[in-house]
Amino acid sequence: MRALIDILIQYKHWLLFLLLEAISFLFLFSFNGRQRSVFFTTANDVVGSAYSVISSITSYIQLQEENERLEATNEQLRQQLYTMRQQLEDSKLVNTHPMKALPPLYHTVPAKVVNLTLHKANNLITINKGEADGIRPEMGVVNSQGVVGIVYMTSQHYSIVMPLLNVNSKVSCRLRHSEYFGSLIWQRGCANIAYATSIPRHVKVKKNDIVETNGYSDVFPAGLPIGAVAGFGDSADGMSYMLKVKLFANFTTLREVSVITNYHSPERRLLEQQAEDPAKQDSILAEQEKRKAAELKELEQRKAAEQRAVDKEIQEELEKQFIQAQGAQTVQDTEKADTVR
Amino acid sequence: MNSVFLQRLTRLSILLFFQVLVFNHIHLLGYITPLVLGYMIACFHRNSSRNSILLWAFSAGLLNDMFSNTAGMAAASCTLAAMMQPLLLGMFTPYNSAEDLTPTFRTLGFWKYVTYITLLMFVLHVAYYALDAFTLRDWPLTLLSIAGATLLTTIIIVFIELLVHPRKQGQVPN
Repeated sequence: MRALIDILIQYKHWLLFLLLEAISFLFLFSFNGRQRSVFFTTANDVVGSAYSVISSITSYIQLQEENERLEATNEQLRQQLYTMRQQLEDSKLVNTHPMKALPPLYHTVPAKVVNLTLHKANNLITINKGEADGIRPEMGVVNSQGVVGIVYMTSQHYSIVMPLLNVNSKVSCRLRHSEYFGSLIWQRGCANIAYATSIPRHVKVKKNDIVETNGYSDVFPAGLPIGAVAGFGDSADGMSYMLKVKLFANFTTLREVSVITNYHSPERRLLEQQAEDPAKQDSILAEQEKRKAAELKELEQRKAAEQRAVDKEIQEELEKQFIQAQGAQTVQDTEKADTVR
Repeated sequence: MNSVFLQRLTRLSILLFFQVLVFNHIHLLGYITPLVLGYMIACFHRNSSRNSILLWAFSAGLLNDMFSNTAGMAAASCTLAAMMQPLLLGMFTPYNSAEDLTPTFRTLGFWKYVTYITLLMFVLHVAYYALDAFTLRDWPLTLLSIAGATLLTTIIIVFIELLVHPRKQGQVPN
């Protein structure tokens, strides 16, 4: 401390010099507008430059953090791009359907085939969408070429599809431009050939006629192409034709599919079940009887209430008339008495 | 109040009087104004108290500013010149010279004195015109002003010095 004081005493003229210069500059900037403006402009420039340098240094130091943030954003955007590209492809898949557009009643869920067997009798397809995506058993599965199969089992995120190439598969079908229908089955062997049975013999069938869904089941809407007639012969019983159908869907390269989620299906099924069940029919009839009886009773009550209201009105009217008549009689009597007097 | 103080006060008053009334109205070529007040700073003898020089110079500059509406400019430049004065005087005085040597023609010799005055006035006018311009936009004009004012002030001071301390007959300039 003493050394510091000694130094200050030794160089006190410097302190005085700085003090006097400071006072001079204070006067200079206080009373000279031009110097003040130049000073402050320059000071602002200098401070601005200093800030710029500091900012550059700070941003350089923070570059690592910024890089990491950008990398994270890039990754996020890449994910989004991938997802959107997938969605676009899926939507293209549905929109560029060569089939006629699906009725608005039917919603589709795009899915990817993750497993597929073609060499067994019970071939199955696994897709990467499940109950979480709204898929339930007995929903139709199509791709851009045609009908693929029907959902057989579902888990939370995966579903098993029974393709047309399964000996247990049976899909209602019809010939396009005709109302005659049959069933499409598959016999083990060729991966692109199925058979349409129960086609009446009097139907005129040509090669390359289109076989499509007939819409009788609640799985597929009517008119979805299944395949083209590749040949025809008699069925085993000889009563009908058995058409050889070349399937449109190429199962060997199957990758993208769409599941048709017909939301009206459970309602329709329930209705049909109720209609078929005799016990239910009885209960429905009983319920209808009961409802009719209740309605009848309510009607009678309403009529009685209306009648009562009408009676009351009439009574009130009569009373009013009686009172008026009595009043008139009293006036006449008074007049008569006055006249007599 | 000693005689030195009164002498300095008198010198300051006379110089300020002429500076305010005469020299501040000289605008040679339109922009060269001599700051003869600097003579006050040049007159401080060797080993004068630095604080004393600074305070006298600051006061002189501030008074000049008050009368010539140049607030702070002369005060700042005179203070700077006062800070440099002992250093410049030391350059022209031998070590064995008197402790209280006052810079004059007689003590320093003509050319040394002129050089000393020129350098001191140069410092003073550099500070003054730099503060006046306060920008590098017209730097050639500023340089010309500094050079012109330094030269003019030096000539005036030399005349004043010749009047105040006339050289002895037969003295050879060294």
